[in-house]
Amino acid sequence: MSERKPLVLGIDAGGTMTDTLLVDADGHFSVGKAATTPHNESEGFVESAIDAVGNWDMDLQKTFEQLSVVLYSGTGMLNTLLSRTGRRIGLIVTRGMEDAVLMGRGLQTWTDYSYPDRLHAVTHQAPDPLIPRDRVFGVTERIDQFGNVVIPFYPDEAEEAANALIAQGVEGICIVCMNSYVDDAHEQGIADLVQNVLDKHEVDIPIHLSSSVRPVIREQSRLNSTAIEAYAAAAGRDQLIGVEEAAHGQGFRYGVQTVLSYGGLAGIRYPRLHETMISGPVGGILGAKYVGDMIGSDSVIVSDMGGTSFDIAAITRGTIPIENEPTLARFKLNLPTISMESIGAGAGTIIKVDPLTKKVSLGPESAGSWPGPVAFDQGGTEPTVCDCDVIMGRLNPDYFLGGKVKLNVEKAKQVFKEKVADPLGVDIYEAAEGMANLLEMDAKDSMSQMISARAVDPHDYSLMAYGGSGPLHMAEYSRGFGFKSVLTFPFAAAFSAFGCTTADYLRRYSRSVQLTLPPDADANHRASVIASLNDVWDGLRTKAIREMGEEGHDKADVELQLFAMMRYTGQLEDVEVPLTISRVSADADLDYLVEAFDDLYAAINRPVAQYREAGHSITELGLIAKVDKIKPTLKRRPLEGQKPSSEAFKGTREMYYGGTWHEAKLWEMDLLRPGNHVEGPAVVEHPATTLVIPAGDHVWVDEWTIIHYEHAAPADSNSK
Amino acid sequence: MTSYQKSEIAELIDGKLPWHKTKAMMSAHKDDTRFDTYIAVFQDRVAWDDPILLPIGENLFIVQGADGRVVKCSCGQEYGSYKQNWKLKAHIRVRDDAQSLGEIYPGRHMCDPEWMEIREFICPGCARLLEVEAAPPGFPIVFDFEPDLETFYRDWLGKPMPERAEV
Repeated sequence: MSERKPLVLGIDAGGTMTDTLLVDADGHFSVGKAATTPHNESEGFVESAIDAVGNWDMDLQKTFEQLSVVLYSGTGMLNTLLSRTGRRIGLIVTRGMEDAVLMGRGLQTWTDYSYPDRLHAVTHQAPDPLIPRDRVFGVTERIDQFGNVVIPFYPDEAEEAANALIAQGVEGICIVCMNSYVDDAHEQGIADLVQNVLDKHEVDIPIHLSSSVRPVIREQSRLNSTAIEAYAAAAGRDQLIGVEEAAHGQGFRYGVQTVLSYGGLAGIRYPRLHETMISGPVGGILGAKYVGDMIGSDSVIVSDMGGTSFDIAAITRGTIPIENEPTLARFKLNLPTISMESIGAGAGTIIKVDPLTKKVSLGPESAGSWPGPVAFDQGGTEPTVCDCDVIMGRLNPDYFLGGKVKLNVEKAKQVFKEKVADPLGVDIYEAAEGMANLLEMDAKDSMSQMISARAVDPHDYSLMAYGGSGPLHMAEYSRGFGFKSVLTFPFAAAFSAFGCTTADYLRRYSRSVQLTLPPDADANHRASVIASLNDVWDGLRTKAIREMGEEGHDKADVELQLFAMMRYTGQLEDVEVPLTISRVSADADLDYLVEAFDDLYAAINRPVAQYREAGHSITELGLIAKVDKIKPTLKRRPLEGQKPSSEAFKGTREMYYGGTWHEAKLWEMDLLRPGNHVEGPAVVEHPATTLVIPAGDHVWVDEWTIIHYEHAAPADSNSK
Repeated sequence: MTSYQKSEIAELIDGKLPWHKTKAMMSAHKDDTRFDTYIAVFQDRVAWDDPILLPIGENLFIVQGADGRVVKCSCGQEYGSYKQNWKLKAHIRVRDDAQSLGEIYPGRHMCDPEWMEIREFICPGCARLLEVEAAPPGFPIVFDFEPDLETFYRDWLGKPMPERAEV
């Protein structure tokens, strides 16, 4: 067993559990789990690594010595933010903007709420500001959106503010000028003055400029991003340094990497650490892209059902969707993030029955992992969908998490009967299936909303279902869409960690611009646009190569890809257009830019939606700098017979499905071989997940050991 | 069904419950025992023994008194039968000119005294401000609420109305 060559260790520390995925050079995976230790994350990191390494009977030290990459995404910054235990910071803003920290954005008062709570304004509440109002100072200045200095900044006000902040004992100062994305001269000028005052008082604290966080329009989210970086990054970095020290202590030779919200890897000394805060859904979509490229499917809908939420996203013709103003802990941020839609619907979702109307509702509250569903027998008192799965015989009470948690079927039945089945006046099994169906309907609704909103045709897409509960409910939530294929994986529960291990060293750099290209633009205008494009891209290129070099990458290895955010003039939404040129050297390149946008726009919205008569607007220019990283490879194996080997067969169990009991055959997922077919009714079990196959449906395993789910043909027609 | 500790309901009444708990309470279906717990918290806080039937203000209750159901302040001051408007037996301060209105709503915040006056109802027993109403000058004193206690207890709470303990 110790012949293995460990290559990549990916660790994802969640709110409760730290998951590890260890990958060797031959594409084998080992999954480890341990409780997250928020006070010192390196403890949970090592425990989880020991669990994964233990599966291969390997020595921890030896494993770490051989590893090429260790990547870690932690919770340190998020916890600091949520518990409001960050640094004491002060803020200097354009005069007139001082109340921005209090006012925030309206949607920050209800984002993440359930639909009823959104409707009821009494539940709305603005997040507590990170900076109290008395540590905010205005400085008179104004550069307009075209870059003209309308009012020079007032140096005496800046000095006064710095003195006042020092007197208040701040540990960091943020400077946010309203239009600094066009020209950061005033932010820089104020920063120099503040630095002078700091030097005079011999105070050594960091100064954060909004223009260096990301020079993009919309001051509220730029302010939030800057404040969060100043407030929470230090504590997060300390945790990461602890993890790196632990890894070095075990013999690891390189720097630990962390995961950026848009899917790149960065060293833990990366200057904009807040970009690592939304890394949860990133892994899954990167993994889906990677698997999709491998099996030749460039359009993929990913669906991740865990204990608390159901997350979905669509990769369209190889393009990963990016959201530019995500919300985190109810702050709107200026941070490109892989965009996923999420609803509060997972196996741990709590079922409620309104005592007066008998209306059933699911969640969005979840039982979490502690106390967890009633069946965990850890003190959970509210019935969850997981309890329904237990009651219906879909989950194996003796093999949950490989037998680490024994499920108490009787208790689940008793609580479910008392709180759900009896109030509704229906049979317990019928009620349990109804609840599971409700969850599946919610999941299905969210998918069809996304599909119709983006006007994608399900026939062009493969659906990938993962997460601990994805395979358990995928039969129903994927039924009837007509996807090209429906796939799941033996390592579905650790798919996010797998995805993180496929990431490259990658950075995004961008800047807002206001350029228009009317259809009848004259040569002079086009030449000025070209000059602006090259000017911005050159600046970004210099910065990108410098920062990648500072992280230790060879400048020659850095690949650059330009992109532009464009729209038809007058429209409200941008499309991110990836470009193959490295610079605009001729007028024809401008035509290329326009055509690239038109094609992409047509692919997303159908050709009939094109509106070239309006001309084109360019709102943001950017580039992606990338250095390749060693990745795990899924192993291709020869197909064997359709009949699974007898050692994979685990017996049978009574399973309730479609209103009656079936005798389901039980299979061990890890022992299914490429080429094997399994007919429903069946349950394919794995320590970390369970795949349920109702009668009529079947699955087969392909040469990559990916499981393909095939639904029975609909009763009314045999064609798709 | 969710239920809450008496101490949590007491904090809710005092506005001291942490926001995340208050929010969770608002988002959940109302607990079956809320009314009883609510009454019990108030009953503990008053110095008298008449059973509270229904709170009608922060310090004002309909209680089962020795002479029938009466409105009573937390200080013990009684206002007579709940079928009569208790406000008629309170001290009333009327703010109906620019000076007195200006104390509360200065400058441009002030209403036009020709169109609206503010009436403050003060307990003769403890001088608490029990209620405030805004009405056009000359409008009769508003009788806020005459509850149908029998139906409320029988059909909504599903239990008999509390009786006075035999003395």
